[in-house]
Amino acid sequence: MNKVMSNKFIIGLYVIPALLLIMVLIYIPIVLTGYYGLMKWDGIGQMTFIGLDNYTKLLSDQQFWKSTLHSFLLAIFSALSLLGYLAVSLVLAAKIKGANLLRKIYLIPMLLSSVAIAQLWLKIYHPSNGLLNSFLVSIGIANPPAWLAEPHLVLGAIFVPIIWQYAGFYILIYYAALKNIPDSVIEAAKIDGASPWQIAYKIKLPLIAGVIKVTIVLAIVGSLKYFDLIYVMTGGGPNGASEVIASYMYKQAFASYNFGYGSAIGFALLLFCLLVTLLIRKLTATNEEIQY
Amino acid sequence: MNTTEQLQSNRKVMEGLQPKRNVLERIGYGILYAILGVIAFFQIYPLIWLVLFSLKSNQEVFNASPFALPIDPKWGNYINVWTQGNISLYFFNSVWITAVSVTLTVLAASLVTFAITRMQWKLSKLVLGLFMVGLMIPVHSTLIPLFDFFLKLNLIDHPLAIILTYTAFNLPLTIMILLGFYYALPREIEEAAVIDGCSVHRIFFQITLPMTMPVISTTAIINMIYNWNEFVFINTFISSDKFKTLTVGIQNFIGQYSTDWGAIGATLVISILPILIVFFFLSNKIVEGIASGAVKG
Amino acid sequence: MLKKKALPLVAAMTLLLSGVLSGCGGGQTNGGTGTAPSADAGEKATVKFMHLWPAGSSKQHNMIVSNIVEEYQTANPNVKIDLEVLSNDQYKEKIKVLASSNQLPDIGLTWAAGYLQPYVEGNKFAPLDDVLDGGLRDSFVSGTTEAYAVDGKTYGLPLELNIAPIYYNKEIFKKYNLEVPKTFDEFKTVVKTLADNGIAPITVGNKEPWTGSMWYMYLADRIGGPEALTNAINRTSSFEDPALIQAAAEIQNLVDLNAFVKGYNGLSNEEAKGPFMNGQAGMYMMGTWELPNYTTNEDVPKEFKDSIGFFKFPTVEGGKGDINSFVGGPGVGLFVSEGSKVKEQAKDFAAFFVQKWGERSVTDAGVIPATKVDTSKLDLPQMYIDVLDELSNASNITLYADVQMSAAVAQVHLNMIQSLYGKQISPEEFAKKQEEALANDK
Repeated sequence: MNKVMSNKFIIGLYVIPALLLIMVLIYIPIVLTGYYGLMKWDGIGQMTFIGLDNYTKLLSDQQFWKSTLHSFLLAIFSALSLLGYLAVSLVLAAKIKGANLLRKIYLIPMLLSSVAIAQLWLKIYHPSNGLLNSFLVSIGIANPPAWLAEPHLVLGAIFVPIIWQYAGFYILIYYAALKNIPDSVIEAAKIDGASPWQIAYKIKLPLIAGVIKVTIVLAIVGSLKYFDLIYVMTGGGPNGASEVIASYMYKQAFASYNFGYGSAIGFALLLFCLLVTLLIRKLTATNEEIQY
Repeated sequence: MNTTEQLQSNRKVMEGLQPKRNVLERIGYGILYAILGVIAFFQIYPLIWLVLFSLKSNQEVFNASPFALPIDPKWGNYINVWTQGNISLYFFNSVWITAVSVTLTVLAASLVTFAITRMQWKLSKLVLGLFMVGLMIPVHSTLIPLFDFFLKLNLIDHPLAIILTYTAFNLPLTIMILLGFYYALPREIEEAAVIDGCSVHRIFFQITLPMTMPVISTTAIINMIYNWNEFVFINTFISSDKFKTLTVGIQNFIGQYSTDWGAIGATLVISILPILIVFFFLSNKIVEGIASGAVKG
Repeated sequence: MLKKKALPLVAAMTLLLSGVLSGCGGGQTNGGTGTAPSADAGEKATVKFMHLWPAGSSKQHNMIVSNIVEEYQTANPNVKIDLEVLSNDQYKEKIKVLASSNQLPDIGLTWAAGYLQPYVEGNKFAPLDDVLDGGLRDSFVSGTTEAYAVDGKTYGLPLELNIAPIYYNKEIFKKYNLEVPKTFDEFKTVVKTLADNGIAPITVGNKEPWTGSMWYMYLADRIGGPEALTNAINRTSSFEDPALIQAAAEIQNLVDLNAFVKGYNGLSNEEAKGPFMNGQAGMYMMGTWELPNYTTNEDVPKEFKDSIGFFKFPTVEGGKGDINSFVGGPGVGLFVSEGSKVKEQAKDFAAFFVQKWGERSVTDAGVIPATKVDTSKLDLPQMYIDVLDELSNASNITLYADVQMSAAVAQVHLNMIQSLYGKQISPEEFAKKQEEALANDK
């Protein structure tokens, strides 16, 4: 066994093409982002080396820390929303009538591009004739707020579509993971007299623990670098009230001609992701290889 | 969802009260389906909304209630979209670029995941770490370095630049998802195959790949959606019309001072149809895979 | 059999690698993307031209461009113009990436002043004074090419010239017996009357704060005179000028009067346009690029078009500004890439383009060009004639603040405008923050 499964040539053959690809297309940009972060550069003309100036500026940049807080809040909400998706997936994966159709319907929003989702939610939140405010008026709330214009509401309002947008993605993964559990395992448990609740909690969840761990990392890293809907729906406004790290980075690099500073933000974002991922791995460190 | 579980855990208590249990169970299922139905409505509504949206004029989009039916359906939006520009060419490009990228990504990711989870070598953890870091870079940080890089290789305005970029940027995510499944996959069959003297390639292609069909379908769906809707890379690396994709077709209707939203809606509807079909097809594979894999094994 | 399956993969990767390596040898030298004409006359020069008028959304613009290109190619058979069209945001993003790699198209579109500055400093745009000196300078409205000048050299040939009047709904005004206001007090009475009657007096899409910025700029102009804001930006005076603070306070007074449509800070310009186009809002301030919607656009009902008029921003009692001073300026202009290998052809085409554009843009696309228009020869809707008259009588045109400022300061300005309208900051802080940003910029 060991001899066959540790054949260096085959390992190289399987791993090196993919590794080469990300080394070149992802690591070169990462290294260059770190490098640009040490420069004063508008992205167009001459670069000037300024050492860690961009990073010291970052430390005292209120808007950067505000954006970082927003990104971490989004990460926390996304991680919590996984519980809901897991619950829905457990129901769908149980053999109830219509599960097959329901599952397909649940995944539809993930097919839509951000352009479409942004337009839909802009119409839902429209201050005068939007779906939400029309509903609130009809139940007697006289003057419902303009959701995307109020600094204290906009962040919450923008989180809803972001989290909703990813529902399909996680349900899909959980569903596939649950369907991947061999029927024999479940049957054996049933014969032993386990209740459906026990089967879900004691058998199914531990068996897909590896997948759950992966989704936690994906949800948190994905949230920390989230950009699309925020950029389209609020542009980070009003006055930075819904700014996140990636949108702030984009504004600095592409709108304000501070490409060097934008790169420093991008690099800081990478470090945040790295730290959080390491933390998650520490917190969830168990025996990774679950065996039957 | 909790309703089912509570309901079913209550089952034992109810065991003695047959008629009552049936009633309660029905109510429970009723509530469950009501909840599932409401969620389903929220999930399918965007599609309906999009179709309605695509039949409106700009006047209606901004002036009338956004959820009203179109007063005078503008089927012309579809004709407009289909006849203007090169949408059929873009459509074709979207299909082949997506197909090639998805295939490359899923195959390469499966090979890597197999090597990491099934084969023994010292650097496996490090290599896995390298892939995971690939998830963490914001897309816009990569534009200028990648443009420069492809320029040096003479690959600007060449579809290979797009395919390689899509593959590279989806590899980390795909490997992560595959990883969770590979860890949970029983190893007995593979171990038996090794003892029987099977080669590694044979194990991978004839045992592992078929067994992982459900997760391959899952990652293929995710990759497909990402590539299909991507526009930042394609806009930056591609200049010629002959290699542009459907997302560029949408840009066609965004103007300097005004935007033709009805036409954008129509383009979005046209562009969602093929992935909807492929999605329904692949989605069934998620369930089928495990059974067929086991049989072959 | 299985080994065979793996082989194509290896082969593909090897091919890929060799492709990569061979690519290195043939690396491009920096410069434009055009191919220079070789000595023998049969070779064509290709001039690459990038613009932002897609056929889908800007049909007329797109057509004018194609027609001019065709015409030019017929007249110059050894030049081929290669077009690339992107939407506004994508265009801006791509130009940036192209510039950083020295790959700008031979000709493209740029915006004035603050936008253009880094490209000039980075030596990416070619000075076009030689083109202008060939007689072209006189055909531009005075003051337009200056917006594209850095250190005495001009780097852009402007294509548009807009001013921002206040459009108003005559039917609504008539219904509430309102007259076009001549003074800011009268204006506030109009606002009060409309607000009391449940009509949104002004619609503004301040999610894109350049729209709200125009209202502020007019107040700054009417109170402090045409130089107040410009001087604060070019550092000959301070942003904490009492006139600039008072203008900010007046914006907040308007907010208190419920002058602006509900949720204005969360609405895009297009969304904000809705209530005006629907007869639910009394007034809307926008650049004259909006004119087709009130004149020629066939998708807009005729009754609505007939009910729209425009007026000049009223004067403020005791203020230094006069009513003929406008906010506006040239929009996009043509640049020629400094690194272009076909610079001469590109310049020649640019000059040709500007002239032809000037002849056609107003009649064919409703765009007021930056070149002089002879209204007597054209058959134009009355509103265009009125606007062109105002333009020729203008005492001053103040360029949009976010265009005047450097990009980094403009971001601060736009954020502050949102906070000002949202009443999250006082007029004093509003001025102070921008003063700081301006002071730190250089």
